[in-house]
Order: sequence, then structure tokens, then C-alpha cells
Amino acid sequence: MAYLTVDHVSKTFPGVKALDDIALEIEMGKVHTLAGENGAGKSTLVKILTGTERPSRGRVMIDGQDATHHPHLHKTVAYVPQEINLFGNLTVAENLFMPFSRSHRGGLIFRRRDIERDAKTWIERFKIAAKPGDKVRDISISDQQLLQIARACTNESMKILILDEPTSSLTETEVERVFRVVRDVVASGCGVVFISHKFDEMFAISDTISVLRNGRKIDTQPASRLDDRQLVSLMSGQEVRTDARLQPEGSGGEPILAVDGLGGRGFEDVSFELRRGEILGFAGLVGAGRSEVMQTLFGFLPARSGSVTLEGRTWRLGDTHRAVKNGMFYLSEERKYHGIFPGQSVRRNIGMSLFRGTSRGGVIDARRERDQVGAIVRDYDIKTPTLNKNIAFLSGGNQQKAIIGRAMACDPRVLIFDEPTKGIDLRTKMEIYRLMKALAERGVGIILVSSEMDELKRCANRIITMYEGRISGEFPIEAASGNALIAAIHGHEGGGHAA
Amino acid sequence: MLRKAMGFMVSNPLSGVVGVLAVIVVVASLLSENFLNSYNLVIIARSLAFIGIITIAQSMLMILGELDLSLGAIGGFCGVIGGILMVKLGLNPWLAFALCLAIGALFGLVNGLLVTLLRLPSLVLTIGMAGVYGGLNLVITKGVAITGIPADIGFLGSGKWLGLPVPFWIMLLFLVVGCFLTLKTPFGRYMYAVGSNLPAAKMLGIRTDRVRVGVFAFAGFLAALAGMLMVARLGSAQPSIGDSWVLAPIAAAVIGGVPTTGGIGTPLGAIFGAAIIGVIENIIVLLGVSPYWQSMVSGAIVVIAISLDSISRRYFKRD
Repeated sequence: MAYLTVDHVSKTFPGVKALDDIALEIEMGKVHTLAGENGAGKSTLVKILTGTERPSRGRVMIDGQDATHHPHLHKTVAYVPQEINLFGNLTVAENLFMPFSRSHRGGLIFRRRDIERDAKTWIERFKIAAKPGDKVRDISISDQQLLQIARACTNESMKILILDEPTSSLTETEVERVFRVVRDVVASGCGVVFISHKFDEMFAISDTISVLRNGRKIDTQPASRLDDRQLVSLMSGQEVRTDARLQPEGSGGEPILAVDGLGGRGFEDVSFELRRGEILGFAGLVGAGRSEVMQTLFGFLPARSGSVTLEGRTWRLGDTHRAVKNGMFYLSEERKYHGIFPGQSVRRNIGMSLFRGTSRGGVIDARRERDQVGAIVRDYDIKTPTLNKNIAFLSGGNQQKAIIGRAMACDPRVLIFDEPTKGIDLRTKMEIYRLMKALAERGVGIILVSSEMDELKRCANRIITMYEGRISGEFPIEAASGNALIAAIHGHEGGGHAA
Repeated sequence: MLRKAMGFMVSNPLSGVVGVLAVIVVVASLLSENFLNSYNLVIIARSLAFIGIITIAQSMLMILGELDLSLGAIGGFCGVIGGILMVKLGLNPWLAFALCLAIGALFGLVNGLLVTLLRLPSLVLTIGMAGVYGGLNLVITKGVAITGIPADIGFLGSGKWLGLPVPFWIMLLFLVVGCFLTLKTPFGRYMYAVGSNLPAAKMLGIRTDRVRVGVFAFAGFLAALAGMLMVARLGSAQPSIGDSWVLAPIAAAVIGGVPTTGGIGTPLGAIFGAAIIGVIENIIVLLGVSPYWQSMVSGAIVVIAISLDSISRRYFKRD
């Protein structure tokens, strides 16, 4: 019998049935993937497994006992959230053993030497490239991700490890490091519950895949019996058109933005041109400086050197207000920190960019605002029960669509997307790709920063690669397959300046 | 059923604080027959007027996620400047009044510029500025009140209209202005954006520094207004005006649903919070609680009031 059994669990929130009669078995020594679109119920199910939420009906059996009556059993389920959730100013060792209750003399006083010695074994086991005394904010994102997993595993009673999109901010080479750790955990006899939106990862690591849709379990299959196409139709309940190519047509317009010798925080000497109606991709490792270049261009970060011309006129950097007013818009990778206004309604969030059309003489007309926000919610297919819903409670995909819809309302001429599909399901991804294409074909110049090669190859007309703060190559899309591009991303010589 | 009805009531952010206020008023009227007496209600309205004006200012700053602990000092200092202009320099009292409001706005502007340009935390900066404004006040007055304020402006402080004190009506007027600004204008939406997520507001092209400086200046204006009304009421410019205007408005705003972290709440809610504190302080005096116990009792009741509000929210509102 399985170690953990979800026994016909339903969960209702006021007005929403989040889970409907879910039955699942999680076995030890296996990787069980939960697949589903945004809002399918994966997060709610995870909360029930960890004991954060109680089922409205049904029960969770752990080790043969009903966990509702034995809440301590939930301690055997360790959870690693999608976002990095560490104490940046504390050391690697301190983060591992926080709150110091396990061993270390009852936690009253700890000796740095003791915990750093204990931390060494974990660092070696998880192959983290850091010393026990390093501050967490100074180590790389992928090491932070591994440290989060290691921290969950310091829980000695752990039998099940839940990983919620552990790879969403990692590049492909870094993902393999995480997978090695996952295989190690499975080999030690624990069960792993894995959540991801990336199919290649699901198939690479899973033994079993369960598909959720609209709060119901659609199917559970051994991973070997499924393929991409089947999985997509199970997840969405319909055929999803995954066009191989979504490059905008007729991208040979005149230059709209010219960047010359731009330097700033973590990058220097960046020069490139963006043409009207094209999608220009930016590839590189996490930390190569791509986001910093874009945020400097937008005026959010200070520039140190270089000059920029927008539509033939010299462009003064350093003011986001002027950028937005002149039609330049940046959509950050950090939806939560740079995008939404948590605690505010969907209406206020989207309405924030509509005042040109919704206010008369400095006063907001409530009805106009409701109508115009309503139109955006419809046009971009944003799923929200009402316009007055707190945007923080929407799924990531719907937040992203709200942010894009809001940006579109400002009539942008240059639009910078930074990892626009991070943590977003395939169907919504395709919607966003088609949206980008349509915008470009209307004459908008689009920059697409992405760590997913597949995304860049599918959407971009040209790809520029960056490595350690410098441009390391430029490829027209026809030449963007093969080793030269990969080499340029990793900073090796021979990255061709083909264009 | 009851739970559902309560849940609906709690979903309106104001119902909690209005409910608490209603309960306190009912209890107060049962405890003392003098409570609902019109003479007593006028006393409550008058003290609410001064604290209320500062509460409007402070709550608007708190929506931004800022605080200004120098509002009391600005009010006191502007009152003294007004006294000097009117008495020592013989300026037209109306002109002096208007000048003082402008000077208050200027002090607020300085606070705002220092916070935004030097990127200082407003809490610490305004503790310092409270020392500067309060200190200048003492240097100029040497602690002595300026008496002989012209009677022309006296009715602004002690007059009545429709049975209620004029300062109370002025407070209501600026409550309407404050609510209109925060709730009905793009500027107000920008305030919530700044308080809810500053980097995201910048990313949308909102001029976040201007919004913050603007609200600081408006708060300074309101502080000067409260100070001048107090001078008009007392007929003299006391250097100690504003000393008690620092903490109560912050507590009032928090009780009224504006957390110090910003982004939510309204000036209207904050005024209800101020009313709760005002009624509690009044009933304690009516009941003849020993002066030594008064601040302890009113403090404890405030803690109980905000705890009840927070517990009821958690119990009924599960989102």
C-alpha cells in the first residue's frame, strides 16, 4: 500500500470548488508529477498534503492513519515552495538549520563551528557550490534552490518531498543539478511529488503523472505511457494548437530603438538595434545581465555610460515616467515584486493605466473604469470571479495576462517582455506568444528576454546572446539552431557574429 | 446564517470599526447618563476636530506607507508663527492665517523632499524634524505663550454652527477633501499603488516621488490648519500646542483600517478610529476614573478594541 493516500478529497472555498473528489496514491521511492494548468487545483492539493488546509470532504491517509486526526503525520511531508524563501542575510549553515531546534543543544545557544560542520555534509550531498559561512544572498539562484531542497530534507521524519516548480527560474544546465538531487532523494527511499509546467522535465524525472483539471483528477498514468500531445489534451481538455513557429511576418522595418555602448549595474558596452515589427530575443544564463540591461533601458536602473535613440531622437535614460509616456514599456519577470499591487482589486490594478480614458477633469468616472477594465478582462481572457477580487488571489497566468492587458492599454511602441511565461501553463503560453506576434505585426518593436531556448526559437526573429554582462553573439533565427548559439550563451569563443 | 450575515458585514472594511464604535457608544451611554447630553457631545466633537484633522493627514501618509511624527510640532510651530505675525507684526489675521497654512505646507514639503531625495526612512527623519520644528518654537517663544490674538478669527476656534463647533465642521470639510483625493482621483490611486508596491508603481511610470512629496505637503498644511484653529480657540499661541497630536492619530488610523505598512484603508475609516479613541477618553473622564489611571485604562481599551476587530476579521473572512 502507498505511504500517502488522498482518499476522495474535496475542498470548497466560499463560491469556488477548488478540489472535487480527488483520489491519488503517493508511493515511496517514486517521483509522482502533478500536471495541470494554472488554477487546476495543484496548489490547493499541495496545501492539503502539507496540512495547511483541511479537506472539506474525504481524508488524507498517511502511513495508514487518517491525518486529520493525527496532524503530526503531516510533518513527514516536506514542502519546497516555488519562490526562493530563504533568509538572505544569514549564512548557508544558519538557513539550513533554522530554527536550530534539531540537535544543536536544544537551540538555546548555538556554536557557529558546530552548525557549520554539520552543514558541510548537506552541502556535499546536495553539491551546493558554497561554503557554510557564505551569506545566502551572495550565492547563485540555482544554489539557493538546492539549499531550499536541502533544508526541507534536514527534516529527519521526512518521507515525502514536494517540489513546487523548483526549476522555473533555472536554465537548462542548472535544471540537471536539481534533478541529480531529486534522484538522490528518491534513491534514499523517499517519495517525491513534483510540479512543473515543462514537459521535457516531467518526462525526464517522473515515474507517474497525474493530471488535474478544474479541481478534478483526470488521469494517472506511468510517465512512459504518455507523450507531450496526450498530456496537453488531458491538461486542457481540448486540442491545443502548438504552432512551431510564431515569428512575426515582415519584420524588416526601420530601426525604432538604437542602443550604443550602454553600461550599467553588472553589464557594459551593450549595443544593438531593435526594428519596428520584430521580436528580438535575448538569451543567456541567469545572471548574464539581460534583465539589468532592459531595466536600465527602461529607466528603472541608473545607466553609467552609453547613448540610446528612440525613433531617431536622442533618448534620455533614467525616468520610467517618460519611458511609459513615450511608449516604452517593460514587463518584469518578477510579477509579484514589480508587477501587481497586492491587496488591491483587479479593477484598481488594471485601472492604474487607464486614467487617460477613465478620468474627466482629474476625477475618475467609476462606470467608465468598470467598462474599460471589464473589456480588458474579456479581451485577454483573465479568469476572475469579479472585478473587485484581490489580484493576489488570481493564478499566476491570470496575473500575467492582467499585467499585459494593462501595458497594452498604454499603446506601447517598444515592449520589453522579461521571462513572460515563467510559471505559466502551455495553453496560456501559446496565447501570450500569439499576442506578441500580433503586436509586432501591428508595428510594435518587441524585446523578449527568455531562458527557454524553445520559446526564443519559436517567437524571435533574431537572438542576441549575453554572457557575464556583455553581448556574446547575434543570430538570425535561421542560424539559431546548433552549437554556436549554446557556445555563445556559455561565453565560449566561436559564438558567431552571424548577422 | 448569523455567520453568513456577519461575514458579509466584515467584507465591508468599514463595518468592523463602525461596529466597535457603536458598541462603545452604547456601553458609554449606559455607564453614564451624562454621556449623550448635548454639552458632552459638543466636547467630544471639539476634541475630535483637532485630533481628526491630524488623523486625516497621518492616514493619507500611512496609505503611502509613510509616517510623519513631526505633524504635531509643525502645528505648534505654525500656531506660534501665526501669533507673532498677528500680535507682534500686526498683520491682518486672515492673511496671517493663510500664510501659516502655506508655511505648514512648506514644512511638510521639506519633510517629503528629504525623505524622497535622500531616501531616508520617514519614521526616523520626522522624529528628527519634530525636534527641529519643536526646538525652533522654543527658541522663538522661550516657552511663553503669545497672548492677545485678534478676536476676528476667534469664531473659527470657539464658534458654533448648527449646534456643533466650527472646527468640527472644518474637519468634516477636509475629510471630504481627503476622501475625494484618495478615492476619486488618479492621484489617490497612485497613493495606493505606492503604498502597496513601490517598485511596481515605478515600473508603471508613476512619478512616485512626486506623489509622496505631495502628500507630505498636504499633511503639513493640515497640521498648520489644526494648529491655527487651536490658536483661534485659545486666543493665545501656546508653544505646547500639538504636543499630544503624535501618537493618537496613528493609533486611530490603525484602528480605522490603515496599517502602517500602507496600501489599504481610507481617511474615513481613520476618523472612525479617532472617534473611538475620543469616546473612550471622554467616558473615562465622565466616570471619574482617577487621573493616574486614565491613560492606562484608555490604552488598554484601545488594545482590546483592535484585538476584537482583528479576531473577528480572521474568524469571518476566509479568502
